[in-house]
Amino acid sequence: MNRSQINTAAFAGLLLVAFGVPLVVRSATYLHILVLLYFYAYLTTSWNLVGGFAGVLPLGHAAFVGIGAYTSTILSLQYGISPWLGMLVGGVLATIVGVVIGLPTLKMRGAYFALATIAFAEGLRVIVENIDYLGPFNLNGPRGLQIPPMDNGFANFMFAGKEPYYYIILILLIGVLALTWLISRSKLGYYLNAGGEEPEAAMALGVNVARAKLVAMAMSSFLTALAGTFYAQFTLYIHPKSIISLDLSFEIAFIALIGGRGSIAGPVLGALLLRPVSDFSRIYFGDTLPGMHLIIFGAVLILVMLFQPRGLQEPLTRAYHGLLDRWAKESPDAAANGHSGSQGGAAHADS
Amino acid sequence: MLYIVEDSINGILMGSIYGLTALGLTIIFGVLKVINFAHGSLLMVGMYAAYWAVTLTGVNPYLSLVIVVPVMFFFGYYLQDIVIKPIFKAEKNVREPITVIIVTTGIWYILDNLTLLIFGPQYRNLPDNPLRGKMLELGDMFISVPKLFGFITAVVTVAGIYWFFQKTRTGRAIRATSLDREAASLMGINQYKIYNVAFGIGTATAGIAAVTLVPFNNVFPTVGVLFDIKGFIIVVLGGLGSIPGALIGGIIVGLIESVGPEFMTATWTEAIVYGLFLVVLFVKPSGLFGMKYDW
Amino acid sequence: MQILKVTDMTKDFGGLRAVDNLSLSIEKGQILGLIGPNGAGKSTAFNCIAGVFAPTTGTIAFAGEKINGKKPWDLCKSGLARTFQIVKPFATKSVLYNVTVGSFISTNNRNLAEEKALKVLEELSFADKKDVRAGNLTIADRKRLEIARALATGPQLLLLDEVMAGLRPSEVDEMVAIIKHLRDTGVTIFVIEHIMRAIMALSDRIVVIQFGKKIAEGTPDQIASDENVIKAYLGEDYAVS
Repeated sequence: MNRSQINTAAFAGLLLVAFGVPLVVRSATYLHILVLLYFYAYLTTSWNLVGGFAGVLPLGHAAFVGIGAYTSTILSLQYGISPWLGMLVGGVLATIVGVVIGLPTLKMRGAYFALATIAFAEGLRVIVENIDYLGPFNLNGPRGLQIPPMDNGFANFMFAGKEPYYYIILILLIGVLALTWLISRSKLGYYLNAGGEEPEAAMALGVNVARAKLVAMAMSSFLTALAGTFYAQFTLYIHPKSIISLDLSFEIAFIALIGGRGSIAGPVLGALLLRPVSDFSRIYFGDTLPGMHLIIFGAVLILVMLFQPRGLQEPLTRAYHGLLDRWAKESPDAAANGHSGSQGGAAHADS
Repeated sequence: MLYIVEDSINGILMGSIYGLTALGLTIIFGVLKVINFAHGSLLMVGMYAAYWAVTLTGVNPYLSLVIVVPVMFFFGYYLQDIVIKPIFKAEKNVREPITVIIVTTGIWYILDNLTLLIFGPQYRNLPDNPLRGKMLELGDMFISVPKLFGFITAVVTVAGIYWFFQKTRTGRAIRATSLDREAASLMGINQYKIYNVAFGIGTATAGIAAVTLVPFNNVFPTVGVLFDIKGFIIVVLGGLGSIPGALIGGIIVGLIESVGPEFMTATWTEAIVYGLFLVVLFVKPSGLFGMKYDW
Repeated sequence: MQILKVTDMTKDFGGLRAVDNLSLSIEKGQILGLIGPNGAGKSTAFNCIAGVFAPTTGTIAFAGEKINGKKPWDLCKSGLARTFQIVKPFATKSVLYNVTVGSFISTNNRNLAEEKALKVLEELSFADKKDVRAGNLTIADRKRLEIARALATGPQLLLLDEVMAGLRPSEVDEMVAIIKHLRDTGVTIFVIEHIMRAIMALSDRIVVIQFGKKIAEGTPDQIASDENVIKAYLGEDYAVS
């Protein structure tokens, strides 16, 4: 088999395993952990469109999660609208907000953009936490909103077991990864890369850098909001401190940064590596050493920035490509096929 | 009407303390061109240092300055030297050192949670300290004494820092580096040493601010977060890199926070502060006194 | 036809007048050179034409249309491309990627864009380096990349900003040949240069400016013997006449 064949086989295998997991793993606890793992992987990959491809540092993305969650929940609770529809409405709302915030701030220096996102997210949280009604909509302040059990089924986005949620978030995750891959190979992807590396040169080549970043921001906000609805339907309880929290915003950013922003696999790899750390340290150290997992996050973040600023995906991808090469060489028709697949080092992460 | 005057005075006093907390942030930005996201955590560290200094020795909180200031200075100096300098060197030619921002955020998380781990989540304060709860009667108005002390400390510190940068040799070297690091290094100034010193000074002023806060503010692991965010707002309002700007920005925020509740709920006051911040960012990002940058 | 026509252009920076009532024009298919002592205002004039900033007064017309203050990316889409004196390659990407960014201007399809990019590279005899990381190129190759990128946008007018700076004499000769070849394919070229032998060899006409003002204009031979030019470069003592 040649290199790209092995690569495709590996991916197919991975997909098979992912889809097959609920058939083998029956424990609700583990499924729950996996659902949250995919949830974070989805969030970080969506974040990556702005934080990685557009090259800025958004630190308030939880705001979009909150917008998505609250929109679909309110529409469902107060007006009986299906959460799926609410999900889309939430996405559109988040997109509008993202564009409005992005218009003036994406042109600024990185630090100012980061600050603006923090201020906006915190401002939103403060408002939601302290008002009960926004016009006709019941936000219920700090107590948050609880979703009462309804008839199970797809239409209500409510299920008894964890399995349906598992598949939904898995499909969402695959979707967003595919989207990211497509963008990286598209005009938008090239333009974002160029604008991030050398904005003046990019502009002289016909790239409207500000507009490209805005498009990325719009996409990212939309996708992030969808996850908010998912979270609401999964946990059936949302409140400002958990869903519009600075901690969530930072965790998303940290994971993406440690995994490797700007690459396709980085955010997912980051989630795969760090979420278990977070879960385990919470389970085992929760009482004795509170906050341990955040210390680990912080320390890993600093170490990665010092030694592997492009993220852990870089050495991991290189190792993977090395393995691919070795396996391809060992196969009988290696000599006939020579090299195929991704270009050396320079341009994109294919996996 | 009287309440508004009283609120205003207390607002100015508290605002000056806010300005003092933000002073380090603006110094570090002015010199290193970096927004130190860990600044609130450094403030928190200072507050714990002051708390323990007072609790163990029983002295007046303001006397703890003798310990807190040098400790904080060296903490900041070595933090910059060991953790942040390598990133700086790696990103020497990058237009904006975003990685440094990321690293300071990591430091924030580590410091806050390490403190949580070591000292626990409980709120601490100094119930017996001589300043607690003291009020000064001015006619029918009550002025908070600890805040008054804070105000005086803030003004003295700001004046002192200003004088330091204008008149002393080190201060001028720091200013030179902040204006043009290559030219300064050609003049024999060790750029990285300057960064260390600037970071140390910024952290030390956070220590001073911490001492003024400890008599009346609770001490707990995440106390720095709110000051961190307010610090950003203040520093953008007043102009990043401007020392008088930090004080004025702080006073503006302090005034809004204390006079605002007369007209609206405290929540909306907070929302107004964030809103004002966003407005300034959009309209005049260089703030009231800040340096002009190419946006 | 006049593809670029600059009329009475002035650029002030506060109290400093960097460009003073400059007028020049380029015929389609020509190579126009702009020279002048350091600080004469060449870069400022260049940047006004390239859309980096807008002139204070005067008009710049490109293919008959006024382009004062238009943004660089819009200018590029209209057919005006430029290179940078201090080269700005997308260092972490391959040469092909770099050029593809340029060729995307006329298509949304990556395959088409890459094909176009490859053609440009072949035209500049650069295709063998297509997978090399841009950051690893020599300075001469980086300059070539800079031109390739700009060329991929399919310009009618190409502005070259001191593209010879830092090159060895043999590399300069190579670059002159490349630029001449470009002109032969129909691209009009506006060059700023300090290296005299290059600009003399390349230009059909030369404009000389000093202190922001035009002091001479003509063919390379006329310029070489122009009294004002000699005075400007070498000082009063060398004036012949």
